[in-house]
Amino acid sequence: MATERHASVTWNGDLMSGSGTIDDVGSGAFGPLDVSWAARSEEASGGKTSPEELIAAAHASCFSMALAHGLAQAGSAPERLQTSATVTFVPGTGITAIALAVRATVRGLDEAGFREAAEAAKAGCPVSKALAGVPEITLDAQLAG
Amino acid sequence: MPRIERSATVTWEGNVARGVGLISAGSGAFEQLPYSLPTRIGQAEGKTSPEELLAAAHGGCLSMSLASELTTAGTPPERLEVKVLVVMDEVPGKGHLVVESQVDISARVPGVEQARFDAAVAAAEAGCSMSALIRATATVSIESRLEAS
Repeated sequence: MATERHASVTWNGDLMSGSGTIDDVGSGAFGPLDVSWAARSEEASGGKTSPEELIAAAHASCFSMALAHGLAQAGSAPERLQTSATVTFVPGTGITAIALAVRATVRGLDEAGFREAAEAAKAGCPVSKALAGVPEITLDAQLAG
Repeated sequence: MPRIERSATVTWEGNVARGVGLISAGSGAFEQLPYSLPTRIGQAEGKTSPEELLAAAHGGCLSMSLASELTTAGTPPERLEVKVLVVMDEVPGKGHLVVESQVDISARVPGVEQARFDAAVAAAEAGCSMSALIRATATVSIESRLEAS
């Protein structure tokens, strides 16, 4: 069954001096969130989100769910996964890299088995597949001590 | 050109069927948004999902891209309203894929001719990095219209 999710964005004015708002999302889970080119393209974002941050959130959440699924299927459902995704954006070029990092508490699984499950989640999650055109997607997967 | 990094973190606890995750943005713009499998594939029940975040990212990317193109054309927009619907489906032999991103743009742009507006929309779509990327598995469709200004 197909799943649909939607979002609405308003932009006022030109790119450099204008600003936008992610007014609402279908679920109502967040919004309104302000966006601007300055916040998107400069080091300090001033607490504003950006398309790249939302992609990082989409990828980290998709990967985590796929990994939880893979581990459970292998008989080792995780107690806890902590995942971060960092998206690198070069204005004028686009998204050049995504770095996924996961630290996991999983009983009954060795490091090699865990890495294998993490690589499978990275390859298989729908957001990874949709973003397959990103030049470099890396994964750092480790069991927490 | 500067390299800009944006990050998000997720904490997930438990298996996929009954577990729950929390999503936080590096900027602090949103924190600890819960998500789960049932609310990702069924009724949202107020919870976000990876696909909803993609819809918001695509809308943000396209609106900025279109504002840039219209400004370059000498007709900066007063207001752009961009709605994005992302569809995930199970594709035989391929599992779950993001298969569509349907974009609806309503624009108030003083002084622009329809043909120039259409060209700006096409250029914005070509120039928005997210549009190009998502085509790996999804069809991107855009409907756009000019409002009277």
